[in-house]
Amino acid sequence: MAGALLACAGCSLHNTQNALDASGPQSQRIEGLWWLFLPIAAVVWVIVIAVMLWGAARKRSPREGMETRGGAEVVVRDEARDRRMTRIVAGGVIVTVVILFLMLVADFRVGQALTMAPGTQAVPIKVTGHQFWWEVQYPDSVPNKTVITANEIHIPVGVPVVMELTSLDVIHSFWVPSLTGKKDLLPGYRRSLWFRADTPGVYRGQCAEYCGLEHAKMSVLVIAQKPQDFEAWRAAQLDSATTPSDSLALRGKTVFMGTTCVMCHSISGTSAAATAGPDLTHVGSRRMIAANTLPNTDANLYAWISDPQRIKPGVLMPATKLDPRDMQALVAYLRHLK
Amino acid sequence: MCSRFADRAVRAGTAVIAIAALAACPRERRTFHDSPPAASVAAESAKSVRSDSGVSREGPYGDNAYALYQGKTLFAAFNCMGCHSHGGGGMGPPLMDSAWIYGYEPANIYATIANGRPNGMPSFKNRITPQQIWELVAYVRSMSGQGSKAARTSRNDEMEVRAAESQTTTEKPVLVTPPPTVNPPAQEGHP
Amino acid sequence: MSALCGCALALLGCGVDSERTPAGAEGQEPHIMLQKPLPPGGTGAQIEAAATAPEDGQWIRPAKDFASSRFSGLNEINTSNVAQLKPAWTFPTGVLRGQEAAPIVVGHMMYVVTAYPNLLYAFDLSKPGASLKWMYNPKPLTSSQGEACCDVVNRGASYADGKIIYATLDNNVVAVDAESGKEVWRTKVGDINKGETMTMAPLIVKDRVLVGNSGGEMGVRGWLKGLDLKTGAVKWTAMHTGPDSVVLIGQSFKPFYKKDQGADLGVKSWPGTTWQIGGGGVWGWISYDPALDLVFYGSSNPGPWNPEQRPGDNKWTSTFFARHPETGEAIWAYQINPHDLHDYDGVNESILLDIPWNGSKRGILVHPDRNGYMYALDRATGEVLYAKPYVHITSSDSVDLKTGELALNPTKEPKLGKTVRDVCPAAPGGKDWQPSSFSPRTGLMYVPHQNLCMDEQPTAVSYISGTPYVGMDVRMKPGIGGNRGFVTGWNPVTGSVVWRIAEPFPVWSGTLATAGDVVFYGTMEGWFKAVDARTGTLLWKYKTTSGIIGQPVAYRGPDGKEYVAVMSGVGGWSGAIVAGGLDPRDSSAALGFVGAMRDLPRVTPKGGTLYVFSLR
Repeated sequence: MAGALLACAGCSLHNTQNALDASGPQSQRIEGLWWLFLPIAAVVWVIVIAVMLWGAARKRSPREGMETRGGAEVVVRDEARDRRMTRIVAGGVIVTVVILFLMLVADFRVGQALTMAPGTQAVPIKVTGHQFWWEVQYPDSVPNKTVITANEIHIPVGVPVVMELTSLDVIHSFWVPSLTGKKDLLPGYRRSLWFRADTPGVYRGQCAEYCGLEHAKMSVLVIAQKPQDFEAWRAAQLDSATTPSDSLALRGKTVFMGTTCVMCHSISGTSAAATAGPDLTHVGSRRMIAANTLPNTDANLYAWISDPQRIKPGVLMPATKLDPRDMQALVAYLRHLK
Repeated sequence: MCSRFADRAVRAGTAVIAIAALAACPRERRTFHDSPPAASVAAESAKSVRSDSGVSREGPYGDNAYALYQGKTLFAAFNCMGCHSHGGGGMGPPLMDSAWIYGYEPANIYATIANGRPNGMPSFKNRITPQQIWELVAYVRSMSGQGSKAARTSRNDEMEVRAAESQTTTEKPVLVTPPPTVNPPAQEGHP
Repeated sequence: MSALCGCALALLGCGVDSERTPAGAEGQEPHIMLQKPLPPGGTGAQIEAAATAPEDGQWIRPAKDFASSRFSGLNEINTSNVAQLKPAWTFPTGVLRGQEAAPIVVGHMMYVVTAYPNLLYAFDLSKPGASLKWMYNPKPLTSSQGEACCDVVNRGASYADGKIIYATLDNNVVAVDAESGKEVWRTKVGDINKGETMTMAPLIVKDRVLVGNSGGEMGVRGWLKGLDLKTGAVKWTAMHTGPDSVVLIGQSFKPFYKKDQGADLGVKSWPGTTWQIGGGGVWGWISYDPALDLVFYGSSNPGPWNPEQRPGDNKWTSTFFARHPETGEAIWAYQINPHDLHDYDGVNESILLDIPWNGSKRGILVHPDRNGYMYALDRATGEVLYAKPYVHITSSDSVDLKTGELALNPTKEPKLGKTVRDVCPAAPGGKDWQPSSFSPRTGLMYVPHQNLCMDEQPTAVSYISGTPYVGMDVRMKPGIGGNRGFVTGWNPVTGSVVWRIAEPFPVWSGTLATAGDVVFYGTMEGWFKAVDARTGTLLWKYKTTSGIIGQPVAYRGPDGKEYVAVMSGVGGWSGAIVAGGLDPRDSSAALGFVGAMRDLPRVTPKGGTLYVFSLR
């Protein structure tokens, strides 16, 4: 499965984090609103600046509009000019109100479209925000077909996805610009968000609500695949981890179970079932690690586990001081967990 | 007019410098690469701490708000809460009262967590790092009001089952020997 | 402005509960409520004949007989003379933790097992003062004390084949020669590093010793084992989660209700591999029907308490089973609390009765469950004849007798980040482990239990082997009426309360019914009481030195006199605040019990004394 994914990386996969490169109906609507507002705002801005500059640059005699009457300086009103100015200002106000009203209606309609529930059968996904990673669950009516993973969300192309969002510590916000707008993850509340990807690709997202020291490095990958590839991925995720056959990875498993790892991480099929950190049952097949901060290579795993504080100072994961051979074994074991 | 302006500028500048100086206070310091004393202190015997152990009265983190917060997070994450509840005890003894069975100095509590104790306290030496143990030590002490009051954690965002650590009155810790649950029975067999 | 004042007043009211003095507090006599008079001649319920035996003056297992009647046929002590009962002798065991055991009497010997360190004391009743003959110390591991959720109790030993057999806290089943006190065999059946302990009293059926583990709060894999009586070898193990092959579900398995039918439900009803740490221990009571050759028992709660971490029915936790004792194969099962939300274990006792039902005699078992319903199940099939509330219930609405399903109240379902208030009954249930008794003379069950509600809030919890796996903050409080305990005289034929005594504290001791029409029970303040079996009227009481949470027994001494024996020594889950020296300022301590028991340390100290009473 991982092989297929890596092979796909060679093909022309859409790989983007760009609100102006919409790949689904939600972000298309938001992008459309952007393209409506931008020209209007630009034109208005140009007009306002132009008038302001003209007003500042126009030469005026010090005595314009004033006359001497009975020995004193008196302001003279030019009735015609006054009426003309009034009409111009009133006209400007009316045009502004109309434009703003049109923009309001456009915004309202987009907002409505974003929150309307999808008509067809949607894939439910539960996303729980933690400092500083994303817990992802795919619930199923048969409980033992529930998939639990972290930081990397796979979705089928062309099928709507309904996300139930919550947080276990502070407020986070889920934002994949190419697919959808932002939605907050609030502790104690469950909020739903739906969206759809219409093109296969890898879409990067960010946490969009300041949540702590590593808010900037809390990103999420949404990988949209053809429906049959998605089902294959999902079925593979249900497999428990197997005992490795090669000795280095086997030693790595012993290291994992005997040190700090088991206090926070879970690997299905072993006795590690802690929930403070991401599930690692299939960590070997993920594209990136550390909430999508580093590519998932052996060197990066080594560096990350040895000292996460150097890469993301302030995460909850402590530095794990191990003998280099034990560390290599541990990395080999994690690589085995595809 | 000029002198009034200068006057205000001087006052404002002093205020800015004072605030900047306060911001360097130990309560708010955050160190992510710390090497607090570990191995030597953990080797201490259960009931006493040497005066030259290098650990301050409050332990390395007793007055650090970030460390106390981390300690509170770890107290829940590592299931300390399962046996000690929110300090009231349960399977394990209470931590929020003044009675301490194995010593109340930071070094004693470090040894308790790292090495475990008879009667059921597990050993966490290989499972959590020394920095994490010191953070837990600081938090555990704050449950009975030890350590800096200003740095202590406050009310939980959940069902309130006890007063917040920052509202706890400081209790003078006392070393107690738990009453024996068994009077040494007559030698086994026929009395 | 007024809104602000209102908000402020509301804030003052919420937060940590202040102490409340419950109705019937110290000094006051508890209130008896006579609901309906007992029909003359009793209710018509009888103990299943095959599961009991004529009275022989002994008490060889905690439940007395296989039907678990806890009924003594002795009538020397009766309603007219029980007021003269006084202590005949006492024995301080030297162990100051909760004493839940039933003293057992075999011939002229009495045996009692203490809380950790599980000492076995043997007394020769024929000697003056019932002198101590020998003491056996199994030397359980000290670290096992850190794996017991609810005090380091032990519910007693059983006698068979010349041996006294019981389980130790550190998962050893020991058989001790009843005469000499020498260990005959010892079998280790569990591992404290996985969070397992043992507190239950084994049941010995023919040549099988049936034992189960504790640890539903520790993420254990729950099981029931059958050991060989002669050698102690493990003959079979029935797990309570996992594939059918390990649950010993085979061709003969016929659950009555559709919801319990299907293959490998012990895997399919759990996400991923969470069934491996799913709980389902057997730390309570087992009954045996010799006519059908079936043992009946229930499994414990699923782990963790936080239900969001284990969507699905979570079979086979909180499930009532019927198995053949020789092989362990399951014959039928009924899951009482699918996807349990409130720690409602299924481990409480079941009393085997024959009752008149729709014109004919029906063989049933009556099981007071933690969820607040009294269940009457057909012994042969597991059909639910009735499920009637015996306490106030808000956590569910009813039990559908056609489908067997429990209709849960969705507003009381715990969800992460939210506090659920006033869940009744609280986690210890309408009744916990403390066993009921039955009198065939009145046809009533005598149920000792509690009246508690709770607020709870789940938290995300990690499984760390050897540490608790709970994930719930709980704060208990007295139920409606303010009294925290009841002794209920229950009519098992109509499924209704006949009389009820309100006690200020939970009644955590067992009851004993005798042919003298006297019912004995103990209170957590330390009173040992005798009441009239027909009306509940208090006839006698005696203040012992510590709260009573043990099981009273009655026996005929070598001198022909009737004696009543009970252990006094407060503790257990309800008494943890005293036994463990816990801090009352944290109402979530002891899994929430401290919130409801803050006044207990003022009324009783720790203890560990055996009391034996007689007339004259």
